[in-house]
Amino acid sequence: MIKISQLQKNYGDHRVLHGVDLEVQKGEVVCLIGPSGSGKSTLLRCINALETYEGGSIQAFGETVQRGSKTVHTLRSRMGMVFQRFNLFPHRTVLENVMEGPLYVKGEPAAQVRSEALALLDKVGLAEKADAYPEQLSGGQQQRVAIARALAMKPEAMLFDEPTSALDPELVGDVLQVMRTLADEGMTMIVVTHEMGFAREVADRVCFLHGGYLVETGPADEVLGNPQHPRTQDFLRRVLHPTTSTRSQP
Amino acid sequence: MKLAEFLQNAQDFLPILLQGAWVTIQITVLSFLLSSVLGLVLALLKLSPIRALSWAASTVINVIRGLPIIVQLFYIYFVLPEMGIHLTAFQAGVIGMGIAYSAYQAENFRTGIIAVDQGQREASEALGMRSFMMMRRVILPQAFRIALPPYGNTLVMMLKDSSLVSTITVAEMTRQGQLIASSTFQNMTVYTLVALLYLLMSLPLVYGLRRMEQRLSRRKKA
Repeated sequence: MIKISQLQKNYGDHRVLHGVDLEVQKGEVVCLIGPSGSGKSTLLRCINALETYEGGSIQAFGETVQRGSKTVHTLRSRMGMVFQRFNLFPHRTVLENVMEGPLYVKGEPAAQVRSEALALLDKVGLAEKADAYPEQLSGGQQQRVAIARALAMKPEAMLFDEPTSALDPELVGDVLQVMRTLADEGMTMIVVTHEMGFAREVADRVCFLHGGYLVETGPADEVLGNPQHPRTQDFLRRVLHPTTSTRSQP
Repeated sequence: MKLAEFLQNAQDFLPILLQGAWVTIQITVLSFLLSSVLGLVLALLKLSPIRALSWAASTVINVIRGLPIIVQLFYIYFVLPEMGIHLTAFQAGVIGMGIAYSAYQAENFRTGIIAVDQGQREASEALGMRSFMMMRRVILPQAFRIALPPYGNTLVMMLKDSSLVSTITVAEMTRQGQLIASSTFQNMTVYTLVALLYLLMSLPLVYGLRRMEQRLSRRKKA
């Protein structure tokens, strides 16, 4: 469904991705992990053309992804994206945020969009907040609205860029629960995350990136439970070690 | 001067001055609308990724800002007819003020647009929006809120500066005052009335705009 080969990405003279290969099948959940600056978010952002890239190729649904190309808008509307900082539209209500895509980008009839949006808000547990503005919600609630907004486009794949990193620890669980449900329903998902517990439980495959290289990839249990590469071992030891990390383990 | 005399004169002058005030309001509103449209276009051009457009917009903005408003008005009213473009004084006033202030409006809008969080663009793009829709649905509504204080300030300044069109014979309030004063020599009465009438228009505007800003920021924080 999504095929990345020999992807190279530079920021000026600095190369942040050194020829990354990654293929994601329909219905697969792939978690990208790695230290900050490893290129995992950049990789994700290349997939829906929020970033340009200098070498290699990205194919999504059989079409080439490149920022500025004619098909990029259509491609993006087939992929949902969830951001670390939520990026809800602050001047619109929760319901309007969820309706925005299908109503204005796809031009679907308002009544249908509205009832589908309400159903999605119900699904993420926020039906009663439909008329609230984003500022009135907690971070965890905002992120669940952001997921509903992305799902409203009926995407064929969902991209998550550290969806729980900006949340207070006690709010992380609700967001992960929504993502878990999506995975169970067979949604194709690529998730950049620091939540190792989530990755182990939900991911079909885990990819470890370091310094712009895809260092290790494999089934979640293998990469997280029995990492082969010393970099992966070192990273996991630091992330999972309770005295050097404050990350909670759900 | 006796109060009774002032009131008697005021009674005579007020109808004429109020006619002028009505013209002042028309000039202000129309040129404000024109400057908003031109300013928005200039702001979008200046922010364009195409260098030539951005450069052209910057040049236009700088030229407008570098010229006195009165010179621009004279040019439109006295020079354009020599090129075959004939405008009434009122039309020349609206167009002149609209163009002169479009440079400041462009800066108001540009600052507002830049201040909108980058994440809003990315979220719009991720939904598959094209740039026109993103501007209309996401960026400009938020930019307008950010730009509201300087935007309102510009409106108040334009109300006051509309008196400049008196120099090209538009019969707005200052011009009417001048005419009455020069024929009656009642300078104090006339210009006191003119000043009071300007305050009567500008102060409610200032308070109204402040309340609008407060309402918007309250809703944002609520």
